[in-house]
Amino acid sequence: MSVLLAATVGVLFAAGLYMMLRRSLVKILVGLLLLSHAVNLVLFASGNLVPGRPPIIPASGAPPAIGYADSVPQALILTAIVISFGVTAFAVVLVKQTNQVIGVDDLNELRNTDAHTEMDAVFDLDEELIEHCEEEEYP
Amino acid sequence: MIALPLLLPLVFAVFSLLAWRLINVQKVIAVLGSLVLLAVNLAIFLQVQQGGVLSIQVGRWTAPFGVSLVVDLLSAILLLTASLAALAAAVFSLAGMDAPRLRWGYFPLFHFLMMGVNGAFITGDLFNLYVWFEVMLMSSFVLMVLGSGRFQLEGGLKYVILNLLSSMLFLSAIGLTYHFTGALNLADLARRMPAVEPRGLTVLIGVLFMVGFGIKAALFPLYFWLPASYHTPPVTIAALFSGLLSKVGFYALLRVFSLLFSGQWEFFQPLLLALAGLTMVSGVLGAAAQTDFRRLLSFHIISQIGYLVMGLALFSREAIGAAIYFTVHVIFAKMALFLIAGMVQTVSGSFDLRRLGGLYRRFPALSLAFLVPAMALAGLPPLSGFFAKLLLVIAGLQESRYVIVAVALFVSLLTLFSMTKIWNEVFWKLAPVSSAGKLPSAPPQNDALPAAMWAPVVGLSVIVILMGLFADPLSEIANRAAASLLDPQGYINVVLGGLP
Amino acid sequence: MLIWIGAGFFLAGLAPWLYRLLRDKTGLVLALYPAAVFAFLLGQISAPGRFETTRWMPSLGLELSFRLDGLALLMALLVTGIGALVLVYGGAYLHGHPYLPRFYALILLFMFSMLGVVVSDNALLLFIFWELTSISSFLLIGFEHDQAPARAAAWQALLITGAGGLAMLAGFVLLSQITGSWSLQVWLANGAAVRADPRYSAVFWLVLAGAATKSAQFPFYFWLPNAMAAPTPVSAYLHSATMVKAGVYLLARLLPVLGGTALWNGVIPVLGMLTLLVAMLLMAAQHDLKRLLAYSTIGALGLMVALVGLGSKIAAEALVVTLLAHGLYKGALFLVAGGIDHAAGTRDVRRLGGLARLMPFTAAAALPAVFSMAGVAPALGFIAKELVYEGALAAQGRQALMAGLIFSNAIMAAGAGWCGWLPFLHRKPRLAGDHGHDVSHAHENTADFWVPPLLLSAFSLLAGLFPGLVAPLMNAAAQAVLQQPLSFKLSLWHGFTPALAFSLITLALGLLIYLTYWRIEPRAHAISQRLRRYGPSEAYDSLINNLKRLAAWQTRLFQSGYLRRYVMTIILTTVLISLWAAFRFASELSLKVNLTLEPLRFYDVILVGIIILAALLVVRQRSRLATIALLGAIGYSIALIYLFYSAPDLAMVQIAIETLTVILFVFVIYRLPLFTRLTSPPARALDVLIAGIGGAFMTCLMLLVTTNQAAPSAVSQYYADNALKLANGRNIVNVILVDFRGIDTLGEISVLVIAALGVLALLGLSSNLGQTFAAPRPLPDLEVKSVQRSIILPVAARYLIPLLLVFSFFLLLRGHNEAGGGFVGGLVAAASFMLYGIAVSPQAALKLLPAQPRVVMAVGLLVAACSVSLPLFFGQPIMTGFWLARPLPVLGKLGTPVLFDLGVYLVVIGVTLQILLNLAREDAPR
Repeated sequence: MSVLLAATVGVLFAAGLYMMLRRSLVKILVGLLLLSHAVNLVLFASGNLVPGRPPIIPASGAPPAIGYADSVPQALILTAIVISFGVTAFAVVLVKQTNQVIGVDDLNELRNTDAHTEMDAVFDLDEELIEHCEEEEYP
Repeated sequence: MIALPLLLPLVFAVFSLLAWRLINVQKVIAVLGSLVLLAVNLAIFLQVQQGGVLSIQVGRWTAPFGVSLVVDLLSAILLLTASLAALAAAVFSLAGMDAPRLRWGYFPLFHFLMMGVNGAFITGDLFNLYVWFEVMLMSSFVLMVLGSGRFQLEGGLKYVILNLLSSMLFLSAIGLTYHFTGALNLADLARRMPAVEPRGLTVLIGVLFMVGFGIKAALFPLYFWLPASYHTPPVTIAALFSGLLSKVGFYALLRVFSLLFSGQWEFFQPLLLALAGLTMVSGVLGAAAQTDFRRLLSFHIISQIGYLVMGLALFSREAIGAAIYFTVHVIFAKMALFLIAGMVQTVSGSFDLRRLGGLYRRFPALSLAFLVPAMALAGLPPLSGFFAKLLLVIAGLQESRYVIVAVALFVSLLTLFSMTKIWNEVFWKLAPVSSAGKLPSAPPQNDALPAAMWAPVVGLSVIVILMGLFADPLSEIANRAAASLLDPQGYINVVLGGLP
Repeated sequence: MLIWIGAGFFLAGLAPWLYRLLRDKTGLVLALYPAAVFAFLLGQISAPGRFETTRWMPSLGLELSFRLDGLALLMALLVTGIGALVLVYGGAYLHGHPYLPRFYALILLFMFSMLGVVVSDNALLLFIFWELTSISSFLLIGFEHDQAPARAAAWQALLITGAGGLAMLAGFVLLSQITGSWSLQVWLANGAAVRADPRYSAVFWLVLAGAATKSAQFPFYFWLPNAMAAPTPVSAYLHSATMVKAGVYLLARLLPVLGGTALWNGVIPVLGMLTLLVAMLLMAAQHDLKRLLAYSTIGALGLMVALVGLGSKIAAEALVVTLLAHGLYKGALFLVAGGIDHAAGTRDVRRLGGLARLMPFTAAAALPAVFSMAGVAPALGFIAKELVYEGALAAQGRQALMAGLIFSNAIMAAGAGWCGWLPFLHRKPRLAGDHGHDVSHAHENTADFWVPPLLLSAFSLLAGLFPGLVAPLMNAAAQAVLQQPLSFKLSLWHGFTPALAFSLITLALGLLIYLTYWRIEPRAHAISQRLRRYGPSEAYDSLINNLKRLAAWQTRLFQSGYLRRYVMTIILTTVLISLWAAFRFASELSLKVNLTLEPLRFYDVILVGIIILAALLVVRQRSRLATIALLGAIGYSIALIYLFYSAPDLAMVQIAIETLTVILFVFVIYRLPLFTRLTSPPARALDVLIAGIGGAFMTCLMLLVTTNQAAPSAVSQYYADNALKLANGRNIVNVILVDFRGIDTLGEISVLVIAALGVLALLGLSSNLGQTFAAPRPLPDLEVKSVQRSIILPVAARYLIPLLLVFSFFLLLRGHNEAGGGFVGGLVAAASFMLYGIAVSPQAALKLLPAQPRVVMAVGLLVAACSVSLPLFFGQPIMTGFWLARPLPVLGKLGTPVLFDLGVYLVVIGVTLQILLNLAREDAPR
């Protein structure tokens, strides 16, 4: 199974990264989801895979013998899943808002915050943008 | 005791949440809270400085089974620094933060951010480190886009996505580490890691960690998120980020590599040295190309990170000590500069160097307040930055690493270049007049700056000066912290309580 | 010394306030202090070598140690003496200038930094003062900062001297590592060791870089003429009398350490002479009084450097005398130039003439200095020149040296004529005053304009007539330079020596040049123009420009703004570095892929198949709903994998989260744009390639890792053994989450709360982006919407809520022993409200809540925080579990971990509702 799992992780990573490379904002979200699945599987595979022996002590109270599934990665994944849910929820809304405010879905058009240097000729655009920026920061 | 830096911000955050509409109550909580935190961290620092490493086992589960909180000298120094920075930011935001942001949860987020930062500093557990990173990042995400300005969203988007990538690398690396060692406690890992076979795989895992932390610490060529976003939120937030976030990334790099991968140094040292040099140069060149006050400062954050990593890469007592001293110095200097950028914007309504000017005439005091941290950053004596760089240069020449030293000196010249460029444009040049051309000078706004803005800036500048005058004892402390990093046995013993 | 200097800095800080009190008197009063220091220093001449030290940074080797040997005394006397005069003069020159207070402050700052440079005995301390002079010079050159040239000049000067300074620092560090100390005395003692060290040549070039930039040697000389943008007193003080001599001072200081080698003797004299010649040629083309003086200063500096390079006894004597003579006459002439400028309104020598009648005192101040500059007896300059010639005649390669010296000294003499004789004694100006401007109305300045220069030049005359006055100082200085006892007597008349003959020749030549100046002037001009075109100044400018271009280019390259490129870079960086590592350690990497590790189960294959298929489909998906469906498929199959591989809790949470995510998407999906295909096919191919590389990399890594058997984890074994015994829970995973590693969960729920806050802020702050952050939009009324919904659903929902709540609470309680727990429980509870929210309306659901979701999650966090910190009050580490002695009937065994789980439960309810109901409200039709 570990081999299969490795393959799955690979495919999920590839798909996720591919989506991260899209220009469309929405697809980036899909990429994020795929990647977080992939990472959880990495964690899961890092414990030894044992089918059908959950780390729950029977009601009898006898401690589980060796060979029970490793409980630690499960706990880690649980935390990771929940965290990534919080992040995803935020990211989804962030994308939605970006979309609403800026009105474009194409990341190539979202380059105003970094591709700017002294040598840039497009001064007027830049100036207009700076204006925009300021009035938003100190209303 | 050492859990307080973690719990206090949480409590403050909760109460600010409950006092949602009562902005003034939140303000009080923020300032008083930061003071309390400062006091606590100071106490911890003093205790650690005398008594050595402190550690508690959460839930009284003996290490390595529970999660250990550990404060060694490095953590103590950074905790203290962080709480000073937080205090400065809290005070500045009394005047520098706009009402809507205050109404929409600025202060709770501020406390959560501090919770994450402190957590990262005091945890002794790999996965727990990840958790605190996420707390810190999540609150920084929200602070970054708080206000939903067009540029904030644009920059914030890149910030969020790239940092999530790094978290995923980090998480995968944790998984693989666990697979090999069956352990998560850093001290425990420090014992087990050298035994892991095959050694090549541990190096691969180390690479994952390096890239993951490298993104957070804004190393070349992974720093894109920083210049894209840091200049978009209000300066108070930018200042806080510039002071803390990337430094926490560097702390993680320092901690994890000194504990887990010091065995593989013959592989990581040349790598890190190269990255350090490139980071310095690329960052400072980026700064040289900017005409916006905050963008310029953002790029400088990167080049300064290069110096820190240089210290780590040299991996000698002096070098790492210098890096630690440098970290503290750059946190204060950079925060002061960002806050001053905010003051400049308040009085002249712009961040654009091309439209600013004439402040040397109008605000001599502000000019002086700028000159101190700026010259400190450029490494002019006798300010903190000079000694930071001097210590690094000395360490580098001791290891006879001439290339990186030459790069470091060259970069500090360029730093001087862009700091004086700001000085020329903002303070010396006459404010451009609209009739003169296409550069209408922003209308001079209120001429009086509130005390809440002055206090932190002056305080930080004073710290920068004092750090220079008392560089010797301070760097001694830093060196001791470095020594304990290079020989982690003491750390391990304290955490594991001499476990076999 | 320390007190003197410290008090000086203090005074500098005080100056602006003093000005408020004293107004016009300020200059005079301030001048008293340097005068006092001057007097103190005079007292030291009789017994040079006074040494004092104070600890500052022992571990760095940085001590506040000062030594007043002859050389230091000579420089210090120049600094304080001229400094006092400049303070007086500056007050007059800048009278009424708004920045006069700042001028006083800065000039004092510089004065005592410079004093520090020359008297400190610790190289690191010296460097600190050195940099302080650079920065104060920067601020003084840019004094008239409204003019762009002044700013540019200041910047240039700072960058060039700064660059040199950094090089010098590196050199110093090397020296300190060779000698094991920062003390100059130690250095001087270990000269031989230094010269023997392999790092010597590096040290030599680095230190030379520092000195050459500071002392404006070729090719760095060009910043000095530009620095004339500074006010004249500044030029007189910093850029002729004192600061620019720091480089010469440093070389002289280190002569016993670095000197005497082939490298030193080969490089430094040549450098000095080259500077001298170039400066003289350029000077011949100047008309501006200050620029004339500036170039002559460069020349003089070159001469001094050359003398240091020669390093012989007689050269050392020549050096110290020249140092003094130049300081005196050049300071005087600059001050005079300022006076002329002030009175006549121009500094163009061609427009000046006959001022002797109009400004007798100024003329009186000028002429002795002129003689000294020209090297005419009986001024001190004459003696200096004699000594220089003797030194040159004694050195090897004397022909070349003498030729160069005579030629340049002749021009120097002529230059003296232009800037002294021409304005005063020449009958009328060569050119008529431009646009009717005429100097004939010029009138004598007030006394504070001409007294300071008069004192200086008078002294240079006195010193010439009675060399005995300065002989002791000169002796001491020369001894300090060579670090060996020597004694010589200065005299105006040496008898008929070759030197005398040569200086007569020089003067004759100089006179010739002076008289024929207007004929050779165009030629000189042409030469200087050519030099200018190929000159280092242009090189500097183009360097700066190219640097800017490079900066812009690399910034656009890396910070391109295309997120895709950033992601690609990260992927490739990771993969490439890893490949390098794999390559380095190839021998140690063993890929033991063992396909028959365990039998493949059919549901494994099916689930994996589903996941892979769905992942591949998602990538090409155009429809948004289908995408969501596929993502759901992936999520649920992963949940099943968890289930089959004995992680029931994981499966439950995964399913719950998956459901939530789907709901989330459903809420926003129609606010999101349609999927569009933006990238061109080739770009897409590249993406496929890179993403594929990333995926393949992860697969390989996984195979490499997971096929090496996992290390048996002592930790999980411990959990298995003690979960029930010590933590009263049979569900180990849950026990880990709320007890063993509960603090992780604390962070986790904090993240959830933050995320909820984020959603709240994003929606709240921008739901009204148009108006600046007004109150949230009024809710649409319920009736309108409820009519278009069915009746049964709301009713059902209303009855379902209590049931679901009870069930969720049950989940919370059993969680500690069976699969379940606060998290799942919270989700179920939240689901019940969501159901109602969908069935009736989000607002109604909000109304059903006892409190705002924000409050619910805050309370939950508080509960968790309490259960975490409770033990602190009993002196236990946080999260220590406290348990009730006996289990309660329904609730079972209770303890702080259960309380903690309750907190989680509440947080999850609050967060989920916060996020989803807000989105739902957003979604509600207006």
